[in-house]
Amino acid sequence: MLATVVAGLSVLPFLVLALLSVAGPWEFPDLLPTRLRFDRWTAVLSGDSALAPCLGLSLLVSTIVALLATSAGFVTARAVADHPRRRLLMLLAYLPFAASPVILGVCLLYVYIRLGLVATVAGVVLSHTIFAYAFAVVFWVPFWNPEKLAYEDLVRTLGGTRGHAYRHVILPLSKEPVLVCFLQTFLISWFQYGLTLLVGGGKVDTLPLRVYAYVGEANLGYAAVASSLLLLPPLVLSWLNRRVIGRLA
Amino acid sequence: MSSRSSFEPIGLGLFLLLTVFPVAASLLYAALYGVGAVGLLSHGVTLDHWRRVATSREVWASVALSLYVATAVVALTALLALPLALALRTRLESGFLPYILALPLAMPGTVAAVLALQLLSGAGLLSRLAFRVGLTDGVSAFPSPVHDVALLGVVAVHTALALPFFVFLFVNFYTSERVDAFRTLAGCLGASRVQGLLRVALPILLRRAAPSLTLLFVVALGSFEVPLLLGRQTPQMLSVLTYRKYSLFDVAQKPEAYILALGYAVLVLGLVAMVFRGKRFGHEV
Repeated sequence: MLATVVAGLSVLPFLVLALLSVAGPWEFPDLLPTRLRFDRWTAVLSGDSALAPCLGLSLLVSTIVALLATSAGFVTARAVADHPRRRLLMLLAYLPFAASPVILGVCLLYVYIRLGLVATVAGVVLSHTIFAYAFAVVFWVPFWNPEKLAYEDLVRTLGGTRGHAYRHVILPLSKEPVLVCFLQTFLISWFQYGLTLLVGGGKVDTLPLRVYAYVGEANLGYAAVASSLLLLPPLVLSWLNRRVIGRLA
Repeated sequence: MSSRSSFEPIGLGLFLLLTVFPVAASLLYAALYGVGAVGLLSHGVTLDHWRRVATSREVWASVALSLYVATAVVALTALLALPLALALRTRLESGFLPYILALPLAMPGTVAAVLALQLLSGAGLLSRLAFRVGLTDGVSAFPSPVHDVALLGVVAVHTALALPFFVFLFVNFYTSERVDAFRTLAGCLGASRVQGLLRVALPILLRRAAPSLTLLFVVALGSFEVPLLLGRQTPQMLSVLTYRKYSLFDVAQKPEAYILALGYAVLVLGLVAMVFRGKRFGHEV
């Protein structure tokens, strides 16, 4: 009984969101909309809606952030894991990750203004990367355990180059965590609202900003469509995560 | 140069550039702005802005509100997740339930806030249901937790978002910490089932989850998207108030925004340092 209630409550928000995205007139106290309309989705799928470019921009920003954060985090974690001041470095790595993005963003805005990055896609990418990179460093440090470092040394001892060690040992071992880190950092950027609002100055229109804009216009139908689009990657990625990682493992 | 050391300059350089510099620069700038050393209206170093913040009822109300929301979220999450984890433990080890319970983990605060508006507002689905069964006689009669004084909607959304994660976490700790074995041992030594639960299982689970609960406190404390949509105009939570003071046309409010940001950052720094005191990182001995 309890399991059924928990399962129902877990699924209910998704059903309500889906219904809201296709709802026509839905006056109080009706429990269901009087009719359904699919024109919002048709407009998005045909590229006619203002949501289509936002979706593209969000995908672009999040993909770049995930690529940058995953690769830079991998390299940094290698240095941090082997560093005598690892504890201090790890504490520092947690700071942007734990701090409120909006509050740190307010403090950082001066730097962005000086660099001419405010209201640009590059500025938004950089601001997201700072947070996603901190997560990636924290994520990768446990990967670089003595076993991995010993593998690397073993290849060198046996006459292999550093390139050999990476190509044949380290990278094959890191396939699964690379995917997980990429997905997680993608989502950190994908969901980001406050930083995009601050650094993007309202000019870099990503999906989370669209959701709030629609709510502000009391257009809950389109807010639900934008929210559904926002939910798609995490749902697909968590499914892929399970499938691909399961296969890799 | 060994392969090990050749990574250090690049890795640490990136770390300095992307983490240490932004954090240090932002805190330094906030500190300087707060004492009037820099900024649009800077007339030299002064503690006036700090005095104004320290005596502002709006600021203290915001601090109190943020602390209350964060505490309520942590308390409610622990109170709900623990019994759920204990009751559903075996069901979460296989079958469909773990997949279904994991679904809300994919939901960002933004979407959850939109859904809360639709479900909990005066004209929302719960209000309609209450009207249909005769509990209320209209929109205004429904005690909506949206834009309410106690920010119950904000607390509910954050709790709902954190709940699945903590249920999984407690189930995981129950197994990894061999809580079942300890409860059996307590039973053999004469403890009742309730004593085994309250004096053995709960302390072990809560102690193991303490760092995660503290991080949840930090996340709820700095929450922005959810209170922006579901909160009130006044008082506002810290992140929302900081953003509002920063983005106002009245530039005299900016130093206060920076002081709030600095105060929040120092508080979070302290909490993070406390959480990770004694924690081992990676292969540290």
